[in-house]
Amino acid sequence: MLTIRGLRKSFGGRTVLDGFDLSVEPGEFVALLGPNGSGKSTALRCVVGLETPDGGEIEVGGNAAMVFQKIHLVGRRNALDNVCSGALGRLALHRSFFFPQDVREEAMSCLERVGLADRALDRCARLSGGQQQRVAIARALCQRANVILADEPVSALDPQAAVQVMELLQALAGDGMAVVAVLHQPELAHTYAHRVVEMKAMVAA
Amino acid sequence: MSVTAAPKLAAPRRRWPAPVVWVAVAVFLAVHVLAWQATEFSPATLIAGWEGMADFLAESLPPDFSVLGKSLEAAVITLYIGLLGTTFSIPFALALALLASRATTSAAWAQQAARAVLSFLRSVPDVVFALIFVTAVGLGPFAGVLALVFHNTGVMGKLWAEAMDESDRGPRDALEVTGASGPQIALHAVLPTVLPSLAGLLLYRLDVNVRSSLVLGLVGAGGIGFLINQSIKLFRFDKMVTHILVVLLLVVVVDQASGWVRKRLGA
Repeated sequence: MLTIRGLRKSFGGRTVLDGFDLSVEPGEFVALLGPNGSGKSTALRCVVGLETPDGGEIEVGGNAAMVFQKIHLVGRRNALDNVCSGALGRLALHRSFFFPQDVREEAMSCLERVGLADRALDRCARLSGGQQQRVAIARALCQRANVILADEPVSALDPQAAVQVMELLQALAGDGMAVVAVLHQPELAHTYAHRVVEMKAMVAA
Repeated sequence: MSVTAAPKLAAPRRRWPAPVVWVAVAVFLAVHVLAWQATEFSPATLIAGWEGMADFLAESLPPDFSVLGKSLEAAVITLYIGLLGTTFSIPFALALALLASRATTSAAWAQQAARAVLSFLRSVPDVVFALIFVTAVGLGPFAGVLALVFHNTGVMGKLWAEAMDESDRGPRDALEVTGASGPQIALHAVLPTVLPSLAGLLLYRLDVNVRSSLVLGLVGAGGIGFLINQSIKLFRFDKMVTHILVVLLLVVVVDQASGWVRKRLGA
């Protein structure tokens, strides 16, 4: 589902990734652990195209979505609109001014999947951090992703909300998605992930 | 545990300003001396001429309130010039701001082109635009509206582009990952985020434009500015004072109203 081979990336002469390999099967939940600067986030950002790798191969069997530590929803809009925006990639511009009814229905089922259908019309800024992160996951589902990359999805959340989000990611892997999460909490990684990959900090080149 | 006196540290030597600072200060002073001379700045002249001002005030008091009706009517026209000049510049300012902001446009040439257009519109004063349009559509409020549309597009477009530049990068990145195109990102990440700031800037510009339309009246674009100009030319300073009191009222009302709404918007 997701194969990364020999991924290399450096920022201004500082190498953060030097030949990184990772392979994730459908239905598998992989946790990436490692100190800051070990290139975990950079690897994920390369997969979704937010960074351009210097070398290596990335194969995604389908559609990769990303979930961020800082969540990155539009706080002033309601949960439903934020989830609908996951569908923008397959909407023509003239259909994306107001989300069509079929997209709104699909977005509602995505919100249902993360357990927040009853909050659809609440502004995201009024939801708790954990709820916001679940809305962001619903947005990834509305993108019809089969690979979910989560960059420290629970670092900004309280322990209870973190557990909810981890359980959700695990359940999505159970549905057949490939899930990769960058984590800073080894306990959570070992409890919920099928496999834990430790990354080492690159020595300055 | 015994406490020993800390060894005395040599204080770092006091540093004098670098020579470049002295040069900057000297240039600063020299320019001000030149400006003082060129503008014939002279407090003595002002004191010597106090009688002129006293005559002027004596002639203008008491105000002639017989023109109050006409004055209020003209003030409403001034308000309308400012209003239309602001609203009609919205589509142009929005289009140019979207092109000029790096949050919504990645092509450097398009950004540069939009910025060039905006700074041209901004650098031509509205009074100059008004004089140009008076030659096309004749004296009257319409020329004033056109002048404000052009100048305000430049100013508001720049302010809006800056507000978009400062919008959070995160939601833009998030939508880029979903495969959204540039215009879709502008529509669903940037605009919803900055809408309150755009509305606040719009109200601020309305406020400024109503005051500008007053000056436009002086060059023949109708409204209460035109009446002020007329009464000065006819040496009817008592009428002029009535007009100025009405202007004061108009400006305060618009300023308070837009301030109130902006506060509600939190912008």
